[in-house]
Amino acid sequence: MKKVVLVLILMASYSSIAQKYYTKTGNTQFKASVEAFEPVEATNKSTTAIINVTSGEIASLLFIKAFNFRVALMQEHFNENYMESSTYPKATFKGLISGFNISDISSSKKQYLLNGTLTVRGVKKEIETLASFSNKNGKLLMEASFSVQPEDFNIKIPRIVSDKIAGTINISLAYEFIEKK
Amino acid sequence: MSLSKKNKFFITLLVLFSSIGIVIYTYTMRAPTTIENKKIDFIGSADELLLIILDHTEEWQDKIVVVSGEVTNKDDKGVMLSSKIYCQLKQTTELQKINLSNNISLKGRIIGYDDLLEELKLDQCIIQ
Repeated sequence: MKKVVLVLILMASYSSIAQKYYTKTGNTQFKASVEAFEPVEATNKSTTAIINVTSGEIASLLFIKAFNFRVALMQEHFNENYMESSTYPKATFKGLISGFNISDISSSKKQYLLNGTLTVRGVKKEIETLASFSNKNGKLLMEASFSVQPEDFNIKIPRIVSDKIAGTINISLAYEFIEKK
Repeated sequence: MSLSKKNKFFITLLVLFSSIGIVIYTYTMRAPTTIENKKIDFIGSADELLLIILDHTEEWQDKIVVVSGEVTNKDDKGVMLSSKIYCQLKQTTELQKINLSNNISLKGRIIGYDDLLEELKLDQCIIQ
């Protein structure tokens, strides 16, 4: 009985302290286009992300197969040859927003340092970038961008297409968080 | 005016090669198949679907399902079916036709099991 009460108290205090915001439909875009060739870019509009606004911790998850390309064949190659999305269906990010304080967020953008680990194809990479936050109609908006290289995640680009795919891939995020109740 | 044999030959060649070129171009540059035209892999209720796929969600990635259930929640991009399946709609304007606690049937693509929010995720959903 005592244990049950203790657990209940702990749960109650935890839920009151840890205020969370989340999104299920965040936009994550990547661009690896080279000028004069067919643009190599795709958007994932189904990214899940959760921010614990008390601690500044952030976690996000996306499914590689949910990246939508304009050209079907490009999407097929992306999934089958480069990302091997049947073997590695997810990409995740776990990080910390330094000095984050929800009460400092207004309608104008405020920048924070975002640090964390990005896991793609089972390979981890440390990411450090600036993320800007603002609020709009009760939603918490976050925007950030960073770049990675295919080699970081052991992705081999065949020589025949290597001049059509940029060596540096820019990833940009735009998430609209709502409060979790 | 009649063309010489040589000219006829070149014109035929030109037509042939340009049509081959057009076929190759339309094949390589084609847009992804839309959800409306995709073959359905499963039809049933939200609970049935979860029961079948929960232990091996990887195999069900990218599969097309028609799933029915009660709308337990709604946001500006999609709906929650039976509190366990999040269905992101293809066209958000369709959301006006959906009311909370109604039973609906949606065709969509499974994108995976979201372990952050502990729910199955579907995208490109259309009302059936």
